[in-house]
Amino acid sequence: MLIKNIRFLLIIVMVVSSNLNAEIIEVDFAYIGHEEHPALLGVKQGIDESNLQGQFLNQKYNLEIISENKIQKHNFTKYIAILTTVKSEELKNLAKKLTDIPIFNLTDESNELRINCITNILHITPSSKMKADALKQWQTKTPDSKANPQSWHYSFKKFAARDLNKRFKKNYKTNMDDYSWAGWAAVKMTSDTVARTKIINAKNMLNYLKTKLSFDGQKGSDMNFRVTGQLRQLVLLVEDNKVIAEAPVRGIAKPPTLESLGILDCSK
Amino acid sequence: MRFFWTLLTVTLFLFNPFVANADGRIFVTNERSNTVSVIDAKSLTIESTIEIGERPRGIGLSPDNTELYVAVSEENKIVVVDPNTLKILREFEAGSDPETFAVHPNGNIYISNEDAAKATVFDPKTGKQIAEIKVGLEPEGVAISPDGKRVIVTSESTNMLHVIKTPENIIENNILVGSRPRSAAFTKSGNIAYATAEISGEVVKVDIVKAKIIQTGSTGDNKSKPKDVIISKDEKTIYVAGGRANKVVVMDANTLEIIKEIPVGKRVWGLAMSGNGEYIFTTNGVSGTVSVIDTGKNEVIKTIKVGEFPWGVVVKDN
Repeated sequence: MLIKNIRFLLIIVMVVSSNLNAEIIEVDFAYIGHEEHPALLGVKQGIDESNLQGQFLNQKYNLEIISENKIQKHNFTKYIAILTTVKSEELKNLAKKLTDIPIFNLTDESNELRINCITNILHITPSSKMKADALKQWQTKTPDSKANPQSWHYSFKKFAARDLNKRFKKNYKTNMDDYSWAGWAAVKMTSDTVARTKIINAKNMLNYLKTKLSFDGQKGSDMNFRVTGQLRQLVLLVEDNKVIAEAPVRGIAKPPTLESLGILDCSK
Repeated sequence: MRFFWTLLTVTLFLFNPFVANADGRIFVTNERSNTVSVIDAKSLTIESTIEIGERPRGIGLSPDNTELYVAVSEENKIVVVDPNTLKILREFEAGSDPETFAVHPNGNIYISNEDAAKATVFDPKTGKQIAEIKVGLEPEGVAISPDGKRVIVTSESTNMLHVIKTPENIIENNILVGSRPRSAAFTKSGNIAYATAEISGEVVKVDIVKAKIIQTGSTGDNKSKPKDVIISKDEKTIYVAGGRANKVVVMDANTLEIIKEIPVGKRVWGLAMSGNGEYIFTTNGVSGTVSVIDTGKNEVIKTIKVGEFPWGVVVKDN
């Protein structure tokens, strides 16, 4: 009788725990910006890929698009992260309003924003200084080159960039550009973190992203953030619609080479 | 006739100065030259080059060594070659962008279709697709347990090992590992597997039955982007292709500590072992060479120039 009861209890425990395992974790992102912006396509690509991973882990990723003029009245408590194309003062105000949520800056390149080290802004897009440094390194080697420094390009093939370019184009019938790469990367690094750590609280997510991230942005190196909130990354040099070089430029940049690009410290 | 071949085999075996048990051949896909280099295992020189098609990558042999399969990625097909006469026998459609594959003991081929987020199973005799398994993004490495009961497919952009049960061909478990898992290898028992994670520069040892990582090891400096992994015959050592670190990393199979680093050519990705376990062949993509490692000394004994961007390698022992 006792054994029977224990068996019965065990069955109940097993059923309950298997139900718990099957419970779906829902994760919500908010995008603030224009609906026509290429960054949004990248965000959507990132959401699709996160859901493809999520189907194996019982995780579901949702996206809400919020227009800039509705920010004031909107309740942001449920979001794991904000993805935005708003710039300068508006971006700063957003960061002040939502202090405990990671805010991904997808478009603003200003150096000042990096120097300010605003705790909850994560800059996916490289700063102007990063780009300028990349170009300077390249021109030290090839003085006549008029290449353009970019964070992404559709002709980039290395490090499986080819694969990302291919699937983006297949889905959106347009080439992935710097902004769409930024949108994709922001979503993907967040969902990767959810998958690995089960963190679904925005404040904890912000802390993890700033201190423990190790992300495959399909640009080669393992990516993480500086104290300035800037994503460490290589910069592509593009000429005539072709990637002709990568910065840090080999033989020019001193190790640790990624630190040869952009601003490293906060203003005192 | 058969007697003649046996005699020849025995003769070659006796007079083989390099690869004791392999009077056969080493086959290498050259991703940019669109060819397969055929290396004579006895002299370790190029014997022949086969024009195969655009972007050949994965390469493997049938269980009885009578057929050589080459994944011609850009043409979405598998080309079947006679490894003795080196003639192309036939080809078949193998889904979108076939990259790597492994041959099951029953002869079927498990292929990762990189841009389609799926793995497909083909019968190479008929060229017919038997099954399709949805996996994560950019599936790459495929490994099959020696008893044929389980298949691992790694998905590079979803950071997982998908453990597939056969013959049902359904996913049994998904194991999250480091960033960009590229390759996996089973031990003889089929209960343990090793996998590489390229971006995080790690090797993991996984209990496949419990679906748990039991050990993680780093392949060293940050240039080290591990790709292929193979296990020594005694299963005490693993060999990891170090990618842009231009070396093969020799690790203790238990602790995953580095025992030795063997310098090879640039951007080493592919690894294959001779049947007796005495030699390892590496494809050095940027150098366009194959290095031959003597596993007794863990040293390179020869470097062979092949085509442009050698990618996959397989050894046919006899």
